[in-house]
Amino acid sequence: MTDEKDRQQDDCLECKKKKDARWREDFPVAWESDNYVTRREMVKFLALGSLTIAGANAVVADLPHIVKASEMPRTRVALASSIPVGGSKLFFYPTEGDPCILVRQRDGDLVAYSQVCTHLSCAVVHNEEENALFCPCHHGYFSVDEGRPFAGPPTRPLPRIKLEQQGNEIFAVGVEIA
Amino acid sequence: MSTRQAQGTTLFTALLVLVGIGVVVQLWLLGASVDAFMRHESSTAVHAAIASGIVFVINGLLVLYVFNFDRKIKQDRG
Repeated sequence: MTDEKDRQQDDCLECKKKKDARWREDFPVAWESDNYVTRREMVKFLALGSLTIAGANAVVADLPHIVKASEMPRTRVALASSIPVGGSKLFFYPTEGDPCILVRQRDGDLVAYSQVCTHLSCAVVHNEEENALFCPCHHGYFSVDEGRPFAGPPTRPLPRIKLEQQGNEIFAVGVEIA
Repeated sequence: MSTRQAQGTTLFTALLVLVGIGVVVQLWLLGASVDAFMRHESSTAVHAAIASGIVFVINGLLVLYVFNFDRKIKQDRG
């Protein structure tokens, strides 16, 4: 009885082997050799990768020219006569979520910058005594002439708002990121 | 394996390592240029692109050199 059972099992194993053999005849490619990558192929792959990365680098370098700044709105900011020498006025540009500050310098020129500190986004205020834009959060100072940081933790200049004057009216026409 | 074939094998392995290092350097340059782009520092991105191009040329020359070497060995054998 036991012998017969063993024989049946052996027969089944034979059947399985035969089935496997038939399957292998239909798909003769071995996975091992199919997935084998030679050093030559690897070098070719790396060289192509090198070309791709160089291309990607060139695209990133050229992105500022490709993606031109979208058209900025022209927004009326203030009347020129309403800002005295050393005075300042807050406004929003280009959207209602972007606070900016307009300052009349000691020589009478008007300049405007984003009011968002480039350190940790606190609002900068005009400090007339020091002729600077001052960030009260971490005592950062930016020059009024160029918006460059000269004291405290900020390292990047404030984005400058381009202004145009028509008669007595001042308009914001664009944002200049240094 | 002949001496020339052994040389070829060593050369190929060395080239593989060198090209690999070049690609890693290029990836680092790409990361740096993307970072510079986000900070609006276009000059850094341009320099990184030039450096990446130079690394690619070096990689290409290395690959061409070793393939030529390989071809010569095959011709000698044939």
